[in-house]
Amino acid sequence: MLRAAILILGGVFLAQGAFAQDLAGDPQAGRKKAGMCRTCHGLDGYAKIPIAPHIGGEPASYIARQLKAFRQGTRTHEMMSVVAKSLDDQSIADLAAWYSAHSVATSLPQGKSEADAPEVCIACHGATGIGQVENVPNLAGESAIYIDTQLKAFRLGKRTDEVMSAIAADLSNDEIRDLADWYASVKLEITQAQ
Amino acid sequence: MKKILLATACLFLGAGIANAQAPVPDNLEKLSNFQSTGTTEFTFIEQSGEYADGIRKNLERIKMPAGFKIELYAVVPDARHMAVGPQGIVTFVGTRKDKVWAVTDRNKDRVADEVKDFAPSLKFAIPNGPCFSKDGFLYIDEQNRVLVYPAAEFFYESPDVAAFNVVKQGELIPPEEESYNHTARVCKIGPDGKLYISLGQPFNVSPAEKLDLYKKAGIGGMIRMNTDGTGREVYTYGIRNSVGHDFHPVTGELWFTDNQVDGMGDDIPPGEINRQTAPGQHFGHPWYGGGDVRTNEYKNEEVPVDVVMPAVETVAHGADLGMHFYTGNMFPAHYKNAIFSAQHGSWNRTTPVGARVMVTHIDDEGNATTEPFAEGWIDENGEYLGRPVDVAELRDGSILVSDDLAGAIYRISYEGN
Repeated sequence: MLRAAILILGGVFLAQGAFAQDLAGDPQAGRKKAGMCRTCHGLDGYAKIPIAPHIGGEPASYIARQLKAFRQGTRTHEMMSVVAKSLDDQSIADLAAWYSAHSVATSLPQGKSEADAPEVCIACHGATGIGQVENVPNLAGESAIYIDTQLKAFRLGKRTDEVMSAIAADLSNDEIRDLADWYASVKLEITQAQ
Repeated sequence: MKKILLATACLFLGAGIANAQAPVPDNLEKLSNFQSTGTTEFTFIEQSGEYADGIRKNLERIKMPAGFKIELYAVVPDARHMAVGPQGIVTFVGTRKDKVWAVTDRNKDRVADEVKDFAPSLKFAIPNGPCFSKDGFLYIDEQNRVLVYPAAEFFYESPDVAAFNVVKQGELIPPEEESYNHTARVCKIGPDGKLYISLGQPFNVSPAEKLDLYKKAGIGGMIRMNTDGTGREVYTYGIRNSVGHDFHPVTGELWFTDNQVDGMGDDIPPGEINRQTAPGQHFGHPWYGGGDVRTNEYKNEEVPVDVVMPAVETVAHGADLGMHFYTGNMFPAHYKNAIFSAQHGSWNRTTPVGARVMVTHIDDEGNATTEPFAEGWIDENGEYLGRPVDVAELRDGSILVSDDLAGAIYRISYEGN
């Protein structure tokens, strides 16, 4: 266990070191380029189809890292792998700047309190699914099956991450679905940046 | 440093919860034994108000041949494929999320007055495609299981329904092949009484190392089985991602739509409507990207199978989804046995295309021609006002069109007589 934790810490250090070299993005240039994203993710990052995550107000570092992973092939998706191939580093920085510029607000369904949130997730994703740490995505209001299939992809090794691969490895299908249902039940509102 | 501690904390908590795993009572098991699950609450969807009015306003823009009328039938969030109950009592509507909606027109004024969730005690995963047998058994294929709900048109009034496994969780496809995209499965009962289920393959183009496994499992194809789940076999090969099929009312042949390869340009490859005349036919994926356009990944390889070319090539990236052979008496006679199908619309074409209902006429020799029937869901800014998914027929001969962007079902009727 300790060895795993040390490996993970190493991974986190490496990953965060890489961000220091990221290009500065221009949100307005990103807004123009978002024409290729909006059919699925919306112009403000509130997804229009359930298989796409909400990316409005997500940390720029997370968006950029995922786009690069799709481009490189370390994360694969039938649509995103096609889209990411056409993006250069500046476009990725611009898109990340545009989508991260929006603000997010969450509310819990009636009768639920933050104390009901899954303990295993809250340190990084927050009780309502807003990332608490750099490079951690928001989960609020994602469709349950999106979160479910991502956790299973981490468990299978189809998607990898220093932290998530280890966490997902120990989760059962029912636990995964319960975690997914919690964050799916959170209402997400995105206010578009100017 | 604080970030790192938090990340590590995530990890240790993760280990803790897994060890404390407790057996979860399974509602499917209870329902299979006709036991109560204790679930009493439905989710009802508001059918009037501003949201419904907004949809009605958008429908004023829809163009159709003279004599046809389109109206809002129901507000149904995430509405995907539809199954009209054989008694005409209720229409079940799938989603790509975790709900199936039961849509009821109690006063028979051809506008639904109640939309509520079906079987709220069950946890669905991508219950996209419901279908009915003639004797009232409802089948719902999900991401990785198929359940049957006997007499669903009656039991749906209660939160607890009768439900049984046809294909158990994890046995429709190998669980490690599960995905969210290309997992909007569709089912129909064939003229042989078997259940035909489409299984999309999850890639843009299937990689070579998956082909053997997919061929065996029927992924990137269509499988059929008896309605009790026995006798499963692969009926169709070489599909990329079919999200709509139906059987010709006269010939009994299987026709299906297929969504074709992305990333090759705005105008290739074409979409497809296919006609299958014998079991085991191959429709070209991954060697062909759509029509006779070869995929870049396989362009230098000799095609190792006999390929059936599409009956109709449709506009590239239009995303042909649900389809239905029209058998009603309401529409003019030349629509009899024609296919009504939905184009969901492109997702990354420079100028969007699709978002319309198409009609395909088939002549006596089997030649098919497709043309737009209802369109106008793309506005002057290139923005979608709606994205049609599936077409179904009511007993009066009018058709229903589902839309998962607006979250609605429309009814198209003919009053030209």
